[in-house]
Amino acid sequence: MIKHNKFFDYFYKFSLSALFFAFLFCILNLQTSLSFFSMFEISTPSLISITIYLFIVRLNINPSNITLLLIGFLHDIMIGNNIGTTSIFLLLFKYFTYSLILEKVNKKNQEDWIYFTIIFIFSFGIVFLFYLVINFSIPELSPIFFHVGITLILFPIINISINFFSFISRLLKS
Amino acid sequence: MVSGKPSNLKSFKNSKKSNFILVFLCLILVFLGKLDLIAIRNIKAFLSDFLEPVTFALNKPVKEIAGVFEDVKSAGSLREENIRLKSEIRKLRVINSKASSQEFEMLELRQLLKVLPDKKNNIITARGITAPGGVFANTVLINAGEDYGIKVGQPAISSLGLVGYVVNVGLKTSRILLLIDINSMIPIYLTNSNWPAVAQGQNGKLLKLKFLSSKAEPIEGEVVQTSGHGNRLPAGINVGKIVKSFSGKYYIKPTVDFHRLTYISIITNKIFQPFLSKTFDGFAPLQKPESSINLKGLNLSGKRVIESNDN
Repeated sequence: MIKHNKFFDYFYKFSLSALFFAFLFCILNLQTSLSFFSMFEISTPSLISITIYLFIVRLNINPSNITLLLIGFLHDIMIGNNIGTTSIFLLLFKYFTYSLILEKVNKKNQEDWIYFTIIFIFSFGIVFLFYLVINFSIPELSPIFFHVGITLILFPIINISINFFSFISRLLKS
Repeated sequence: MVSGKPSNLKSFKNSKKSNFILVFLCLILVFLGKLDLIAIRNIKAFLSDFLEPVTFALNKPVKEIAGVFEDVKSAGSLREENIRLKSEIRKLRVINSKASSQEFEMLELRQLLKVLPDKKNNIITARGITAPGGVFANTVLINAGEDYGIKVGQPAISSLGLVGYVVNVGLKTSRILLLIDINSMIPIYLTNSNWPAVAQGQNGKLLKLKFLSSKAEPIEGEVVQTSGHGNRLPAGINVGKIVKSFSGKYYIKPTVDFHRLTYISIITNKIFQPFLSKTFDGFAPLQKPESSINLKGLNLSGKRVIESNDN
């Protein structure tokens, strides 16, 4: 009875969205605070894009556009960016992930890294071009290369460690 | 909405349109943000105030862990550090004795020239809540705002030199645009040759030298300070030193380490009144002599002799 009640259905979806939002917000804070480590002085890795990718591809969770929009706004306010920059990146990231992974290429786990690389570089590249147009000047490129590089290095490490933990948990269950 | 169902591809196809509309909306927002509208600035300030406790609480553990890592790292090089510090103390003692004698001499000369005394700066020191680490922006949020008299445009300094200036003020927080940000431009001068220029951030570690005269010949290691042109920043604050790149171009390396900023001071008295020449009767360089007074310098006892034209 409860399952077919519309109110409960909406409430269930809303609470899931709120939880997801809170989780992404924590990841966002972790990402920005990583710059306290001397290793990430130049720039921090994009943990948020790794998280969203893994949520879409592995957990089959579709983050709503509004959630990504709000998370982007919060990130921009936290680090003092122009409001909207991160939201564009996240929305494009989601769009490319669905287009490339779910619609066309599908679905070998081994190729995850390559797809992530393509999607990340594509969406980041578009935002970067937009940033260049707005500022009318070219910034130093080393922090940007570091940001892209460290994100692409971190992705397989996180992916493999998730695989490892899931393997251990399955082993323990069996 | 988030859903864990396998029909996500369908829901994505439905949300494609809204995805594009939102991207377009964000593009408009970015442009509006670039126009620096007061409404957007106020919203940003309000949200910064609102998020400050959450951000502080979530950043605190990571900051502490990073601190532990730094401590462990420095513990390995304690001996070398100790030797370095001892030699630095010896050097500083020599410099200190020289400086104290020169300071006395300078005070006498200033008195002799009747140089206007420097206005005492009103300084407020606050703690940095966030660390600069964005790819597109280099700013720091501090936990002091309008309540403490902070206003947009006021300079932010640390013990080593200029950090940046305030760009957004909320009730309890303020945002400081660091020198290294691409949107930061400050008037400076080269201390050896007195050539004025503008230092622009590049979102990296070095600052670009802009509008420097082609006749100027910067020296590597030359100190760069704020010139005070435009009356926005006070003159004489350390900015950095000149460094030469491999390509032969000159850049400024800031003296402040922007990633080690814990406390930041804001100079809150930003208006520096230009002095009125009529009320000033000192023997200053480039002063326009008044017709009734003829300055002839000092006599043997050190007193200034003023001879009136009327006599």
